[in-house]
Amino acid sequence: MPREVHVLGVYMPSLTLLFLLCVLLGWGLDRLLAWLGVYRHAWHPTLLRVSLFICLYGALALCIYR
Amino acid sequence: MSTVTLQPLRALLADWGRSEGLSWVFVAKALVTAFLALWLAYRLQLPQPSTVLVTVFIIMQPQSGQVLAKSFYRLIGTFVGLAMMVLLIALFAQERVLFLLSLALWIGLCTAGATRYRDFRGYACVLAGYTAAMIGLPATLHPEGAFMAALWRVLEISLGILCTGVVNGLLLPQTSSSSLRSTLAVRFRDFAGFAWEGLAGELPPTRFEQLNARFAAEAVGLENLRNASAFEDPHYRLRSGRLARLNNEFMLLSTRFHALYQLLRRLHVAGEQGVVDALQPCLAEVAAVLAPLRTRLCSDAEAVQLAERVEACKVELMEQIRRARLQLNMQQPNEAQMLDFNTAAELLYRFADDLHSYALTHASLLDHHHVREQFTGAFTPRANGTAAIVAGLRGSLLMLVLSAFWLATAWPSGTTLVMTAGMITGLVSAGANPKRLAGQLFVGACGGAVLGFTLLFFVLPRLDGFALLCCALTPVFALGATLLTRSQWSGIGTGLLVWFCMLSLPANLTLYNPYGFINEYLAALLSMAMATLATALILPPNRPWLWRRLEHDLRMRVVFAVSGKLKGLVAGFESGTRDLLNQAHGFSSSRPDVQRQLLRWMFLVQEVGHAVIELRQEQAALPAQSCYGENTRWRRAIRVMGRALIRLFVRPTEQHRQRALTAVEHAIAAVRGTPEPRAPQFDTSPLRRVLSYLHFIRSALLDPESPLAPAAGAAHAA
Repeated sequence: MPREVHVLGVYMPSLTLLFLLCVLLGWGLDRLLAWLGVYRHAWHPTLLRVSLFICLYGALALCIYR
Repeated sequence: MSTVTLQPLRALLADWGRSEGLSWVFVAKALVTAFLALWLAYRLQLPQPSTVLVTVFIIMQPQSGQVLAKSFYRLIGTFVGLAMMVLLIALFAQERVLFLLSLALWIGLCTAGATRYRDFRGYACVLAGYTAAMIGLPATLHPEGAFMAALWRVLEISLGILCTGVVNGLLLPQTSSSSLRSTLAVRFRDFAGFAWEGLAGELPPTRFEQLNARFAAEAVGLENLRNASAFEDPHYRLRSGRLARLNNEFMLLSTRFHALYQLLRRLHVAGEQGVVDALQPCLAEVAAVLAPLRTRLCSDAEAVQLAERVEACKVELMEQIRRARLQLNMQQPNEAQMLDFNTAAELLYRFADDLHSYALTHASLLDHHHVREQFTGAFTPRANGTAAIVAGLRGSLLMLVLSAFWLATAWPSGTTLVMTAGMITGLVSAGANPKRLAGQLFVGACGGAVLGFTLLFFVLPRLDGFALLCCALTPVFALGATLLTRSQWSGIGTGLLVWFCMLSLPANLTLYNPYGFINEYLAALLSMAMATLATALILPPNRPWLWRRLEHDLRMRVVFAVSGKLKGLVAGFESGTRDLLNQAHGFSSSRPDVQRQLLRWMFLVQEVGHAVIELRQEQAALPAQSCYGENTRWRRAIRVMGRALIRLFVRPTEQHRQRALTAVEHAIAAVRGTPEPRAPQFDTSPLRRVLSYLHFIRSALLDPESPLAPAAGAAHAA
């Protein structure tokens, strides 16, 4: 995947777009896990949520910068 | 031996952790957030690190849910503000006059929106307004770079929001959900105590009023807490509908109890001892259920048992009421006494019923998914339209005057002058006492100016490196954050932190320019002084004009109850009335007599409005029989009564009260004269229920303590 994409004539780092994509994906994942009640078993639910998001973003970012 | 000495120490520590410790944790979190954000801003070479820190301190709140909710709405506000500014710059980049005119209009609109909504949506309005000012004003000087500058501001604001959210969510979070939970439990415990005392007839009037005002305030506060908790905790997001339902049911419960209590009080005053004595065993039955609740907090698991107890009590209560009626019948009561008894007994039974549904909803919080989650009656805040327009006009006017001054003098710091005005207008618009808040912000900014000057010109030139910069900034930030934790001084804290960061924080390339610095601060302080004057002089909201309007709005709630759409009417009526009272209470905090008068109006509106809504629901659910038809005499009489009530509450005069009374009595006679093929019990006969609502409206209109009473009316007119 290219490291920069152009959107409406402006060059943007792909990471920015990826971030927005991850926000959407992470939100969906978060809803699903909350619905299943996974967070009830977590010691620090917020920490788990943030970590999950970072894992997701990191994994997708690796696809670009590998 | 050591355990003996350790025990009090541990207790002391735990005590400290619950009170003063929380403030220390908040200050520590504020420092961590600020330095993390500042480091990232320098590292990422953002052009204005000050914007990042201003954002951090504006959304900094003790509770993490509030931070997340504020962050979310701040982002929305920022994007709306950005879109507006890009449009304005594209249109009027060369024409400063037109640009400033439209900016003033936009700020006025946003301020009016903030005053209108007053919750997090209002917050988004505020931010849309002043983000526009923050982005747009500096860009007017360099229109060629305006688009890039606007993008940088959005990045800076987003970075500030991200840092604050992450730090507040992860480090020792002080959750909104736990606060929500404890507020709910404490409120229910206090209500149980209040109702128990009321049923026993031991409630002093002042305490009755205080508690009612408090419950109204808590109903509004809980709605905000519920929104914040949904942002923070997935557990509470799944229960959001049930929590809204719980709040609504609590409002219903307290309204019902209020009606019962007023009726019992009127019976006492009228000397109807026979009826009261006959009711006594029924009251004791309900009081016995309430008695254990008033001493400790009810958990979800206990709510299950409570629901079972109340259910058993309802069956028993029905039997009690029948026995009491037989007993009263033996004393050969007259028609009015029998009606009094029936109305009170029915209210009592319905109170137990409401208590039952409250307990069921409370118990349903235990489950992860529950059918009670489906709840459509939204909390509808009501604000006075005129007050919102006045706030908007005040903001626009201030912006216009300062912009004109800037254009006339060509002052290099004019941007700061106008920008500060925009920010102040937004920040103070939602408060109950804008003058005081604006004054506090001014004082805080003065303190920030002194600290900033000292730091920037005497301390920072000797320092080298980020660590030392943090050491130098720590005292200032800690002082500001400490002030933020004290609610009576939080305005000073905001003023200090925000304007310190805005004007004296070094950018990546530090410029030491004393003239420029003093000019900027003069502009900010001048603008704040002007804003304080404007809020004090141009129709401030805590004055009689607004009290009268809010009183009128309260009365119009009855008109809403009579003529509003039946769907969602209960929730809309209950929440709107309480929200109005809560605002009116805040705006008239300097005048206890006005507060009392408004509270009495609220009581009357609640009693009559609630009875009218019950009447309408009863009529909507009538079975299809000829005696219940649309055009029967009693239904026509009730419609006439509705119109009389509207006239009375639009213009409360003695003449209108007499007319309304006649209409109610006419309706009572019409209902009585209608034959009904059912047993005359209130659980089987709709007409019996209609009769007791009508009787209750009549007793509310006749009450000598209501603001409609002839003596009170005369004092009111004078």
